[in-house]
Amino acid sequence: MTEVKPARSGKRLMDYYWERLCKNRLSIVGLSFILFLCLIGIFGPIFAPDPQKTDFTIKNLPPLGFSTEESVYEISTGESTTTVIWGQADHPLGTDSKGRDMLAMLISGARISLLVGLLATGIAIFLGTFIGVLSAFSGGWMDNVLMRFTDIMMTFPFFLLLVMIVFIFGPSLAIIVLVIGLTGWTGAARLIRSETLSVRTRDFVTASKALGASDARIMFYHLIPNVSSLIIVMATLSIPGVIMAEAALSFIGLGDPMSTSWGTILNTGQHSLDTAWWVAVEPGIMLFFTVLSFNFFGDGLRDAFDPKASI
Amino acid sequence: MRSYIIKRLIYSVIIAWGIMTITFILLRLGPTSPVDRYILNIAARGENVESVKQAIEARYGLDKPILEQYLTYMGNLLQGNWGWSFSTSQSVADLIATHWIYSFQLILLATIFAIVLGVGLGMLAAVKQNTKVDYAASIFSFIGISIPGFWLGLMLIMVFAVYLGWFKTYYDTNYPIWSLQNLKQLLLPVLALGIGELAGYLRYTRSAMLDNLRKDFVTTARAKGLPEKTVIGKHVLRNAVLPLVTIIMFDLGSVVFGGAYLTEIVFGIPGLGQVSFNAIFANDYAVVVAVTLIGTFLVLFINLATDLIYTYLDPRIRYD
Amino acid sequence: MKGAETLNNSYFNNSLAAIMAVLILATSLSACAAPASRGSFIEGDVAGGEAETLNWILAADASSFGYVGYTLESLANYDNQFNIILRCLAKDIEVSPDGLVYTITIRDDLKWSDGSRVTAEDYVYTLKNLMFSDWLNYNYRDDWHEDVGGQKVFVTPAVVDDTTFTITRKTVQPEFIYTLYGLVPYPKYIAVKYEGDVDAFTRAREFNDLSYTGNLGPYKFKQWLKNDKYVLARNPQYFLGKDNGAPYFEEYVIKMFGTSAVMQAALEAGDITYCGIEPQNVAKFKKMHNITVYTVPTRGYNIIAYNQRANGWEGLRKKEVRQALSMAIDKETIARKISLGFAEPAFSFIPSSSPWYSDETVVKLGVPPLNDKQKAMQMLKDAGYEYMKNGDRDILLGKDGKPVKLLMVTTPGSDVVESMSLLIKQELAAIGIDVEVKWVQWPTLLRQYMMNREPGTDKEPRYNNGPLAVSDEAWDMTLMGHNTDPLAPSGSRVFFASDGGLNSFGFFNEQVDQLFQQIRSEEGLDKGERARMYGELARMISEEQPVDFITYTRANRGFQSNVKGIEPGINMGYNYYLWRFE
Repeated sequence: MTEVKPARSGKRLMDYYWERLCKNRLSIVGLSFILFLCLIGIFGPIFAPDPQKTDFTIKNLPPLGFSTEESVYEISTGESTTTVIWGQADHPLGTDSKGRDMLAMLISGARISLLVGLLATGIAIFLGTFIGVLSAFSGGWMDNVLMRFTDIMMTFPFFLLLVMIVFIFGPSLAIIVLVIGLTGWTGAARLIRSETLSVRTRDFVTASKALGASDARIMFYHLIPNVSSLIIVMATLSIPGVIMAEAALSFIGLGDPMSTSWGTILNTGQHSLDTAWWVAVEPGIMLFFTVLSFNFFGDGLRDAFDPKASI
Repeated sequence: MRSYIIKRLIYSVIIAWGIMTITFILLRLGPTSPVDRYILNIAARGENVESVKQAIEARYGLDKPILEQYLTYMGNLLQGNWGWSFSTSQSVADLIATHWIYSFQLILLATIFAIVLGVGLGMLAAVKQNTKVDYAASIFSFIGISIPGFWLGLMLIMVFAVYLGWFKTYYDTNYPIWSLQNLKQLLLPVLALGIGELAGYLRYTRSAMLDNLRKDFVTTARAKGLPEKTVIGKHVLRNAVLPLVTIIMFDLGSVVFGGAYLTEIVFGIPGLGQVSFNAIFANDYAVVVAVTLIGTFLVLFINLATDLIYTYLDPRIRYD
Repeated sequence: MKGAETLNNSYFNNSLAAIMAVLILATSLSACAAPASRGSFIEGDVAGGEAETLNWILAADASSFGYVGYTLESLANYDNQFNIILRCLAKDIEVSPDGLVYTITIRDDLKWSDGSRVTAEDYVYTLKNLMFSDWLNYNYRDDWHEDVGGQKVFVTPAVVDDTTFTITRKTVQPEFIYTLYGLVPYPKYIAVKYEGDVDAFTRAREFNDLSYTGNLGPYKFKQWLKNDKYVLARNPQYFLGKDNGAPYFEEYVIKMFGTSAVMQAALEAGDITYCGIEPQNVAKFKKMHNITVYTVPTRGYNIIAYNQRANGWEGLRKKEVRQALSMAIDKETIARKISLGFAEPAFSFIPSSSPWYSDETVVKLGVPPLNDKQKAMQMLKDAGYEYMKNGDRDILLGKDGKPVKLLMVTTPGSDVVESMSLLIKQELAAIGIDVEVKWVQWPTLLRQYMMNREPGTDKEPRYNNGPLAVSDEAWDMTLMGHNTDPLAPSGSRVFFASDGGLNSFGFFNEQVDQLFQQIRSEEGLDKGERARMYGELARMISEEQPVDFITYTRANRGFQSNVKGIEPGINMGYNYYLWRFE
């Protein structure tokens, strides 16, 4: 339950939450990793080589410190020549079967994952908040219609829908973001609705109503700020789901082929599990730590906003 | 109570109909055609692609107006005819009857695995709050929630099947469903699919137990001198379990259509997930709609069952 | 644990073998020299290669015919040297001197499952009442069409006696005989029940479980679990096994895998008997003593098609420009770097494994001496294009004075195609052409880039709507895998003839059209003359370069070493019924 205060409660409250958040070491670890990812997502591509740049002279390089073998067949003689390949310092995390630098691809993947995560969650949370608040506020038949619609969307087999739409309309980041965003709002809508319903009956809302405030004004100046902490927590905790959904989609071959995301690297990696393990292992590790960080951070946020939680 | 159930059932049918219609329209209005996959093959054999395309679409009635196709499909469905899957050349009913068991066993085992271990570890963590056991459980649950199941599946195959050779690299349908070998080969898929759920239940059980441990009735029970086992088992767990049912039921929907789908693909299990996945790529709408519909009914049924279990577990709740 | 698994398998095999030994003692005293049949031969295949239906007349895919082929022999097939091997034929097909009448004589010991004989009537019925019918819409009916005075008409089959039937054409088509060799009959006594009702025919139980195939194939249908396995059981009645007891496997299984990595791991572990091996794994498998790897030619090759329609770069409509681009792309590097040596440079639509391939006539662009970036740049200059210096790079300018930027569209998913497109981008950058590679899914590639229509008309889009038609989206190059029938390469006219149904890149050349025409006429009856015409056609197309042929692909096939009787080659499966475990 959110601590209910009138809107614009000032800087002191933020300090209070921040202090509570800082007490949770894991959430700070998570936040740091997220900030680090944002940094490499924004600035990394400037320093790293082009993730799409191929160079067949250095394909399937293992990470630094590891080695593999490569053989080339000679049709005329029927013989193969085998060379042992060691990881190189220029490509510390190795290269894939097209000689693309894994580090550069992982950095590009960070960018894509964060972008998809933030944008799709943004759309979903915005829609969810809007529908939730509208539903709770208007009540009556409107509430009924909106909630039944939410029910249908909730029952819809989400991943199947995602696969279907992306297959039919072609895989592009825009479509992936839109579909995840437009289908992922149901949880938020329900939660925000119930929260708004409870806030609506509070004194300060009744008071402003009595003072003649319009519905829209009450909605935007009183209700939304009061559920904002809830929105932030929800958003943080739903980002990992979105990142995983994008990765899963790319993993089964429906990722945007024009961009390098962790899922698309994994997709190529699964085909070379036996020869170039690092291509499948590295993006998975990044994915795992990213999702873990968001979970750490979101968990910390929730506790920080929850006055009952003992920290 | 009965009128409530009837109302819910009617409501479920309407939702299912809505979802079916959306799926049908999406699949049939999209620009793709079942013939797409064969274009090169048709051309390599020197045929006129257009006439073959028309012939195939005519054979399966795909050249008719979309409304007519929809009404025909609905009419057949109401008579219990699920249609013909042209990409696998058998009736959709046969297709589902053959393949459901592979999905079902996976989901069932993964769910049992997740519930037993999740609730068990959660209780342990709660009872031993703030000890090393508790911290370990907490870290484990964070890991479990954050690890992508399909990637974990790949890693498990790589380590345990490819390198160590303890398991086959693929799911072998030659073993009967009720056999030890089958159970053994389901170990890795169940792990990959269940670990996320497990972690979720662990976290939930722990916090619900802790909430209840602080309640007055526990203090009273303890004051009465009841043994700790009875206090935890009878009073705390029972109260914590109720909301857990909702969470498990809710999760099941996403397991059926999310994790299980990917797990089947990674491990090559020929369940309904793979069937519908291939059907999407083959534009075989009858199969996709049918699988979607089954999944939807399952979720709706589970929702209803959850409500009913609630009334049973908590006599204070009445639906009227 | 690994050991236990293998033990388990061999236990299974041994017990089966023991049972079989008893059976063989009792039944095959006459064929005591024949090897005993035992074990399951398990072939690995990657998902996506699965058949669609066993009711083959309805199939559009290639695998369906293959799946049925295990239970039902065609009239003939070919060995690795493309010699005709008779199957259901009693003797080779006789062609009248004018090339119009084909006389087919089938064996007299072919039986359906009910014991009745397979007669010429079954073949003629299948042709006339099924393949040529309007109600069934056989997908490949065009194989049986001929063009008479601008009208498409079917050839005329007729029964002569129980084992003989004729097919009469009105026009000469020397390669029609290869269509005939592939003919497979439906049982008339069953098919008449469903005649005229396409729904009933589609769902007919007998056709979907192949229960009619009698003694016609080495195996009989047993089970088909979609996305998983197709199981065939030994057919002890097989007409070619009467004397030698073939086939020698109790079961033949096709097992589907999600990725080739998992499939190859299964081969390594001994869980399957045979599968294709990726180039990067060949050396590893060749070292294993329990695996034998055969490197064999295929009918496949990769091409870049240059868009010569109005919405491609205008330069691509000039022969010299296309030649220059192809000259800059180093095929040997592609063969070495991408295919790891399991490919050879390609110059013609006729695969090098084909008897019609002529090495002397083709223009060998893309290998020395015609792989020369300096010369390519000079050719572009000669064609009227200018270069601009940008730092140390030369940049090709179009007629409008702006740098030339080409769009290459291709589909994602295939590692070879992806790598190749990126390498080609690098190669063309070296002659100052900036290539943007765009990956789109197959349906998008078909609809947005390959299908075309005349602008301003509302005609149905087709893959070749005439010289004025263009696709919705502009493109310059596309990269894809192709294959040509080595025995009847004139089928490739769909790509290179002006009216070819898949000539989506807009190549129009009257001489080429004429040669395709001549090959499929009286002039082609003489094999020497046909070879000359194919040589000329290959030269013309390789000089015109409507597409750049990149590499012919070699395949690697890995078997458990205890499989004997394999003859490696392009058609190595032709005698699979004689393979056995030792």
